[in-house]
Amino acid sequence: MAKKHEPGMAYDMNKLHKVFAFFSLVLLMSTVWVFLDDYIRPWKAVQIEAMKIEKQKIAEEIAAEEKVISKEKLEILEKQLKDANQNVSKRSKDLTELNGKLQVLLRDIKDETIVNGRLNGDVAALTFKWEGALSHGASYAPDLFKKLKKNKALFAISKDKMKTLKGKEKKIRRKISDIKSDVTKTEKEIASILGKRKLLQGAFDKKKITPIFAIRNAPFLDFLDPTVKIKQIVLPNITDDRYFQHVPKVDRCITCHTFIDQKGYEDQPNPHKTHPKLDLMVGATGKHPMKQFGCTSCHGGEGHRVTDFNSPAHTPASKEQAAEWAKKYNWHAPHKVPIVQFKQGMAEAGCVKCHEGVQYLPGATVLNEGRRNIEKFGCYACHKIEGWEHKRKPGPSLEKIASKVSKKFFKNWVWDPKAFNKHAKMPSFFNQMNNGKLEHQVKNIAEVNAITEFVYAQSEKYKPFMRYTGGNKARGKGLVKELGCMSCHGVADFPIESKKVDAFKGPFLTGIGSKIKSKDWMVSWLKKPSHYQEDTIMPSFRLSDREANDITAYLLSSKNEKFDKLNFEPMNEKARDEILVTYFSAFDTIEVAKKKLASMTSHERTMELGKRSVGKYGCYSCHSIKGFEGRAPIGPELTKVGSKPLTQFGFGHEYDVEHSRDGWITAHLQSPRRWDNGTDRPFKDLLRMPNFDMSEKDAKSITVALLGQVSDSVPLKGVKRLNKHEAVVAEGMKVAVKFNCIGCHQIDGMFGDLLNVYEDDVNEGPPRLVGQGHRVQADWFHYFLNNVYEIRPWLKVRMPSFNMTNEERNKLVALFQNKSEVNTFEEVHQVVAWERGEKRAAKKLFKQLDCVSCHAAEYTNDEPTAPNLKYARRRLRPSWIEKWLAAPDQILPGTTMPSFWMDGEAADPDILGGDAKKQIKALTKLLMEEGHNFYSPKHKKTRSK
Amino acid sequence: MKEFINYMADPIRSFPLMTIMYILMMKYYRIIGTKKFAVGALAVLLPIVTWFCLDDNFRAIIMWPDNIPINIIIILIGWLTWYSLYRCAQNDERIERGECPIEATPENREKVWTWPNLVYTELMCMIGVVVFLVVWAIVFKAPLEEPANPTWAPNPAKAPWYFLGLQEMLVYFDPWMAGVVLPGIIVVGLMAIPYIDTNPKGNGYFTIKERPLAMWMFMYGWLVLWIYLIIVGTFLRGPNWTFYGPFEFWDFHKVVSEYNVNLSEFMWIKWLNMPMPQNIVVREILGIILTVIYVCVLPVLSAKSKWGQKIIANTGQIRYYIFIFLLLGMTSLPIKMVLRWLFSLKYIIALPEWELNL
Repeated sequence: MAKKHEPGMAYDMNKLHKVFAFFSLVLLMSTVWVFLDDYIRPWKAVQIEAMKIEKQKIAEEIAAEEKVISKEKLEILEKQLKDANQNVSKRSKDLTELNGKLQVLLRDIKDETIVNGRLNGDVAALTFKWEGALSHGASYAPDLFKKLKKNKALFAISKDKMKTLKGKEKKIRRKISDIKSDVTKTEKEIASILGKRKLLQGAFDKKKITPIFAIRNAPFLDFLDPTVKIKQIVLPNITDDRYFQHVPKVDRCITCHTFIDQKGYEDQPNPHKTHPKLDLMVGATGKHPMKQFGCTSCHGGEGHRVTDFNSPAHTPASKEQAAEWAKKYNWHAPHKVPIVQFKQGMAEAGCVKCHEGVQYLPGATVLNEGRRNIEKFGCYACHKIEGWEHKRKPGPSLEKIASKVSKKFFKNWVWDPKAFNKHAKMPSFFNQMNNGKLEHQVKNIAEVNAITEFVYAQSEKYKPFMRYTGGNKARGKGLVKELGCMSCHGVADFPIESKKVDAFKGPFLTGIGSKIKSKDWMVSWLKKPSHYQEDTIMPSFRLSDREANDITAYLLSSKNEKFDKLNFEPMNEKARDEILVTYFSAFDTIEVAKKKLASMTSHERTMELGKRSVGKYGCYSCHSIKGFEGRAPIGPELTKVGSKPLTQFGFGHEYDVEHSRDGWITAHLQSPRRWDNGTDRPFKDLLRMPNFDMSEKDAKSITVALLGQVSDSVPLKGVKRLNKHEAVVAEGMKVAVKFNCIGCHQIDGMFGDLLNVYEDDVNEGPPRLVGQGHRVQADWFHYFLNNVYEIRPWLKVRMPSFNMTNEERNKLVALFQNKSEVNTFEEVHQVVAWERGEKRAAKKLFKQLDCVSCHAAEYTNDEPTAPNLKYARRRLRPSWIEKWLAAPDQILPGTTMPSFWMDGEAADPDILGGDAKKQIKALTKLLMEEGHNFYSPKHKKTRSK
Repeated sequence: MKEFINYMADPIRSFPLMTIMYILMMKYYRIIGTKKFAVGALAVLLPIVTWFCLDDNFRAIIMWPDNIPINIIIILIGWLTWYSLYRCAQNDERIERGECPIEATPENREKVWTWPNLVYTELMCMIGVVVFLVVWAIVFKAPLEEPANPTWAPNPAKAPWYFLGLQEMLVYFDPWMAGVVLPGIIVVGLMAIPYIDTNPKGNGYFTIKERPLAMWMFMYGWLVLWIYLIIVGTFLRGPNWTFYGPFEFWDFHKVVSEYNVNLSEFMWIKWLNMPMPQNIVVREILGIILTVIYVCVLPVLSAKSKWGQKIIANTGQIRYYIFIFLLLGMTSLPIKMVLRWLFSLKYIIALPEWELNL
């Protein structure tokens, strides 16, 4: 030790004190830092910013209000006020006198109030005492009673006095106000002009940063009653799964998204922006008010976290946005969040968990698109998805395939469907990324050969019932375009229309001549599809023999020559045997497997491989094949794929795929075999999910639909429970979707793909069904669905006859009734009861409005351009006819039916006293009386038999 | 180069390397314990560490908030180890010259007041530590993680950093041994040191020369068997407790080939080509014999050696046997590690029926 200190001291005390002071200071500073760190929260800045925005908005409103206020009028009023005040001051003597009187009166009233109050108490107390004394037979009871009587009398007098005084007071006050009446009136008028501004000014002042604001939000004091605070919505109906218990969802998003539920902030930048769909979401009057549904119920993410921008698991929609956020908010990918927020444009995935039992949701554009694509590509066939079990297999039945296409076509088609038809929905299994190597191809070719032999061996015999007798191609082409084939089929010759409709229920019609091997088959199929396949959804268009032949001629004339030239390599028996040995040796040694193989004939081997290959590739999931009835679908279930932990998605060695659920699903849909890249798997373990050549848009929409398939169980109180009408509608929609009714018909504003072709004149397309349940009578509708007849002869598009069961028809009828929320049957009087002169008036009106100029059938010999009115009696509901006549344009915008009673005005002021309602009623009665009492022309015949 | 460091960091290679480095350090402590060496080492290490930190994967590991204490430990341990070696080197030189240690010089033996010399400075240290912890807590916030999910355990699931050495031991020992017996022995052994070690030399001053056995043994246990294992457990063990080099990306799907075999299986099936005996004691007989030799015979044999005799003479029989038992306990860890690496040996005695696996 160089330096000597005092004895007994190792250090210099002065120095120690300095060090101590330094440490103390640092401690103080760090303590201040603790409080600052706790006090300064990102959301506070956001709320202050919101206050400024709101203040500015109010200032603008005040400025706008200033403009509205008329200065001149105000000036006049102020002058009036001045005059009135002068008048009042002239009579100031009277006023002082009156005021003096009033003061005296008020004193008297106060005095009497005291007297009155005392007496009231005395009476009540005496009553109690006396009643007690009386019931116990006390000797002093009579004395008490006397006293009570006396007090009661005094009380009555006092009450009376009070009334007199009050009456006097009223009189004097009236006198005073009479004198001042002009002043008060003018003041009120001024206030009514300035009222709104005053209110706005008040609101504006509230947003000012005043000392009180500063104190309320100061550190330490801000626990008392802060104005800048975390705002939250607690949802007892929707819970978060915290694994050990379900807790009510708490969303604090509105802490920063300050104006999300208020109109007028649409132009503000985030987070102050108004919700873009305020009518449907968030808005208090919409279907999903914020207070009941919160934010993360739909958007996903951690709504209770407001620590910083990252904590609620905000998810950027693109790499650019991610970079922008990283710069702006220090954003990073959320760690360990079970369900991160859905990206912008994917929020509709959030609809799925609550809206069960319906395929298409009004308003959910992307989700509906995704669900439509799931149906289109048939995802549900291989992958179980709860709620899709009722769907039929997306591919055609192969039970009688041998009579339809040749083996050569079948093999080439299976090998590469897109080579035949680039719109083919059948996906590609072979010659893909992971099985393009020669050794794989040899085996794949053996498999395809074996599948073909197997499927053809399983195929039943079928003989067409009709012979092709030659037809006109051009006429056939016209029919295909006009009849409505394109609501289910795309047609190569009509590319623009096909694109507009984007039909997918039936195959894209191209090269049919190369596909269908028998003309007789084709014509039979067109004439009666159910003859070939009983459960087909292809309807009969009630074609005449000539029409059927024409269409056959047209369809079969289209050939795919390139595809015709393709030859399929024959079976490589060595490859076949090799594959079979790997199958057999799964649980046995290769020795045993080979022995088993040796015991089989060549045919048996082919059949065995065919059957196993159908199972391996899951052909049976989409196509009915004999021998595979009831087999579980091949793919993994997707019901809860939206909650599958990210670590369980196999990204393989695809490092450029975004590491998220939706990133994986989209990449998988677009290129399902990519996960095999950079691996060395044996032939039997290669990925088998086929390639749909899906566009990115389609893949993304399906991704949204699948992302919503989460395992969160929303309590019954929180989910959308279909009411009795909606449940029936959902059930009916399954039928409407199955038979693709929605391909042609628009139902209350949704669907109707085919109408896209009739943009020029919507009335030329399939009828739009608006309030259809209210429009038609239930029994007629049920009859019609099984006995379709021509209602609108001028339409070229044709309502086909579907092969529906009675149950299905009932469901459809119920669907529309419940959609319109009407009773099954409406009161229809067999005999119309006329009022006096009503019938004459109706007939006059009928003539005057010249109804028959369009509704010509059975009235004149002209070509009708509107339905036959004679059939309205059994077809339409009278109440609907009345509604329709009153305003046809409101039910069907753009209809050719004129509005005769525009805005409730009478069509003819001279008829029925010019009462529009009476006129409409009379006409409806006339239709009901004059109409036929049977459903359809054919019905008459059957009835008369 | 990074590949090579990744390769060398695997415990199979880095453990022997650390042991060799430890031996070199203890042997040449006179060179290491100089200021010149410290400056030189710092000058070499700083650029290397900087270069390490340029790597994304390495930075991701060391900047993980949970791992900050380990970074601090490494720096502190480095400094403290060097400082003690420095003091030892100084003292040992003086002792060789026949002088007393620095701590024993008259001016250093002078007595001072507890207050303020001790208590006051302690107070300052308290304040300093509080400030340090406060700032640490503000800068590296405790993460708010997802709600506990019993069906979705974090991977890797890591113990608190101070237990990571024990967790690393789980790789080589049965949980019962690594989790209960060995930690018990460590705690009891540390408590027993003052009663076993009655040698007054080294009290109050730094020295290696006067206490070679104690220093070599304790420092090995501390630096290599405890600190080194914590570092491995923290930085080099990723998902599935698989080894990841310092520059390696923690790929969740990394696969390693490990198939371990029990000693009894080696003996009966590989060497004797016989079926495993039904009697479990007979089955494990070789392991039992070896363990008995290790635990019972070795102490007795060593007591007869010159080295043993000397210690017994200094401390007595009981102290000697307790000491040797603790020493054997400690050395069992590196022995087992080496056996695992060389022969993929699973257990020397495998008696899962009795829940006894060694």
